[in-house]
Amino acid sequence: MTNRLKNIKPIAQKVGDVKNSIFITVIALLGITLLLDIFVVEKIFNPLTYLYIVLGILFVRYGIPLLYTSRRLIQYYWQRASRNKLAVGGLAFILFLILLALIGPLFTADPTAVNFEEKNLPPPGFTLEESVYDLKTGQFITNRITGTTQHPLGTDDKGRDLLAMIISGARVSLQVGLFATGIAIALGTLIGVTAAYLGGKMDNVLMRFTDIMMTFPFFLLLVFIVFIFGPNLALIVIVIGLTGWTGTARLIRSETLSLRTREFIMASKALGASDGRIILSHLIPNVISLIIVIATLSIPGVILAEAALSFIGLGDPTVASWGMILKAGQQNLDTTWWVAVAPGIMLFLTVLAFNFLGDGLRDAFDPRSNV
Amino acid sequence: MLNHKLLEVENLKKYYLITGGLLARQVGEVKAVDGVSFYIKEGETLGLAGESGCGKSTLGRIILRLEEPTEGEIIYQGINITRLGKKELRRLRKQIQIIFQDPQSSLDPRMTVNQSIGEALLIHGMKDEKERAKRVVEILERVGLEAQHAWCYPHEFSSGQRQRIGIGRALAVNPKLIIADEPVSALDVSIQAQILNLMLDLQTEFGLAYLFIAHDLSVIRQISHRVAIMYLGKIVELAEKGEIFQNPLHPYTEALLSAIPNIRQRKKARILLPGSVPSPLNPPAGCRFHTRCHRVLPICDKEEPPLKDVGEGHLVACHLY
Repeated sequence: MTNRLKNIKPIAQKVGDVKNSIFITVIALLGITLLLDIFVVEKIFNPLTYLYIVLGILFVRYGIPLLYTSRRLIQYYWQRASRNKLAVGGLAFILFLILLALIGPLFTADPTAVNFEEKNLPPPGFTLEESVYDLKTGQFITNRITGTTQHPLGTDDKGRDLLAMIISGARVSLQVGLFATGIAIALGTLIGVTAAYLGGKMDNVLMRFTDIMMTFPFFLLLVFIVFIFGPNLALIVIVIGLTGWTGTARLIRSETLSLRTREFIMASKALGASDGRIILSHLIPNVISLIIVIATLSIPGVILAEAALSFIGLGDPTVASWGMILKAGQQNLDTTWWVAVAPGIMLFLTVLAFNFLGDGLRDAFDPRSNV
Repeated sequence: MLNHKLLEVENLKKYYLITGGLLARQVGEVKAVDGVSFYIKEGETLGLAGESGCGKSTLGRIILRLEEPTEGEIIYQGINITRLGKKELRRLRKQIQIIFQDPQSSLDPRMTVNQSIGEALLIHGMKDEKERAKRVVEILERVGLEAQHAWCYPHEFSSGQRQRIGIGRALAVNPKLIIADEPVSALDVSIQAQILNLMLDLQTEFGLAYLFIAHDLSVIRQISHRVAIMYLGKIVELAEKGEIFQNPLHPYTEALLSAIPNIRQRKKARILLPGSVPSPLNPPAGCRFHTRCHRVLPICDKEEPPLKDVGEGHLVACHLY
């Protein structure tokens, strides 16, 4: 074993050096693109694309090695989680949804293309009876519109393809869910762990602040901000993120409180570890499972909140989120019912999938439960 | 070498304040450790025995300064560590290490053995990952595990193996003194013997001193050079191992020794102590043991007996002597 280690490590070191130089090069390239974007050419990428690129690079540089070193732990948890079939189904649906949001728009029609010739087309196999006033005869005649396979989910009252709208809506809803939850979880973890680890006055101050934030009517705040700044999706995401961390902070705090008296923390202190090391390498890795569960379970809430905002007319009108489509569809629910049903079903399935996955993960991570 | 005092504890006290009511007023204090003094020589094992709740573990943690003493002094190799600042303390930390009772919770469940032991090395300046991995394997082999165990997680080991890892982690920084806080009481008997033998081997190899905390006197007898008996936050008797087991002076020690099961002696006169340990919140006046003592004198509930030498380093705190 010692011999094997001797042989492996230099190679690993080399790989590490190559990785670092590639990492630096990619970051530099991105920086140049950004500078070009600002000063020379306009709009190479939009800001969101930059965010994705940076996240992607960070994932490749740090996420993948981390996943690789803890692959056996992940394997162990996957083994536990995969016994829950509902959770596996939920995960499959979420992966499908992500794939759909990523590459779906390449295969579907333009979701914004208006075509009044083909308005109100039902899904294939359904017909819509429409009374139309005929100008020539001066009488009402019944028009029968039958769906075509060209529009598998039908079209809305402006003749836009509903499938294309649903797929672009998936992109919006997932972005909202992931980013708002990301902000909320990051804040909640930071505040929760700090409060619990430092204890005393700091704990009191942070937790009372959390209490105040909790009593704050966040929906009213959203309505207020939308009223002042206008409906802007990025703003909505940030507000949901900045107000949604309170529950997380409390859960993480209580988990950390029980962790910090555990003996491995004391052993670390006895070895002379600094507070920062204890927080970063012991406390946070040990609440990661809780963080994953909270994140999974709070994504659907955020998606629903955005849908609800759109539904009451406070969403960003420039993006077709599921909530927007739902709202447009509910006005003609008695005739063109499919417009509201399609996003409704997608919302329902997405929320269900995240909840099933979250429950499954919670059971898998809980050492007390034998799944 | 054996005569050099490695650690000296002088009149150590730890009171936990109990607050209650609206304004968090102090309503009482728990005297967990109340004026304890002893020393440990280099390469020596001092066994510390007593019932649960008598302050043994607290004492161990105070010596490591995982808890701050209320009063008293801890002198390690001539340095008073009760007055050290955070930075100096961290530098000194590697000389005193701890082994815990519960091998389940003493290892980070999210870290491989390589990471857990490697952390100890990293904190004390071994920055090179390759070098660390090599040293971890050496340590593992020294405590009776194998090289491939380095890549396993704690849940993949038995509790005996985990305790070996815990010992390995303490050993990683070459300490001079190890506080062993009931290191074998969570293990079954056959594993206990293995761990005790490992600790004895390591002691001869590295010249380690142990403060061995236990409630099991047969374990104490196997590993200690000297033995201290604690009752309600105070040391009641302290002597060489042979002396304390052959010639126990304090009635409490007598009672404890009479409770050790013996295969040869079927019917042994057991000294039964009535009642349970009084609350350290409100310890009895005078000698703390007088409420349960079978040889109680009239003076016992009035005056507290000091710990005095009755010859050849045999210390006892009792009015009988």
